[in-house]
Amino acid sequence: MHNIIRQLRADQGWSQAHLADLLDVSRQTVNALETGRYDPSLPLAFSIARLFSRPIEEIFQPDQESA
Amino acid sequence: MERGLKEKRSYSVYRKELWLAIAVYIVLLMGAIRLARPMDDSILRTALLVSPMIGFGLMIRAIVRHVARIDEYQRLRMLESFSIAMAITGAVTFTYGFLETAGFPKVSMFSVWIVMGASWALVCGARALRDR
Repeated sequence: MHNIIRQLRADQGWSQAHLADLLDVSRQTVNALETGRYDPSLPLAFSIARLFSRPIEEIFQPDQESA
Repeated sequence: MERGLKEKRSYSVYRKELWLAIAVYIVLLMGAIRLARPMDDSILRTALLVSPMIGFGLMIRAIVRHVARIDEYQRLRMLESFSIAMAITGAVTFTYGFLETAGFPKVSMFSVWIVMGASWALVCGARALRDR
């Protein structure tokens, strides 16, 4: 999955640690999400979408469209 | 890089709970060695000798609470690292078992703890370096 979390965070001027606090996760998790090493669970993906007031599909896109 | 406030608090609580449990274990262990060892066989002696496990129980409690506090990614990483560390521990201990048959000195079963801890540290360190 590709995501635009890093860009959205930068737009807000937040650090990874601050975003981690807002999402109630670790900074390590935010880093893993931003670098694409980890795809979040649905509840976390919804929390991210809610925080940035955007639909999930605008934040997360599959690397390749599957049938 | 800096941890978030909630993460810092979570790790701080874990450290406090774990060190308290270790302290309880050490105090009870010292008590068991001093009081129970010289005693004659009895239920009280047995209970005193096994009493350090109360501290061990508190350690388990601290770890369970910590695993419940950490987030989904940390939990996944922990499980992966633990699985790899256990596989390494198995390989090392089995290898040494064969070497003992070949004449190497007998080593206490307690050394498995050391291999387990060292494997865990090695895996965590290697993964941290790789993720940089």
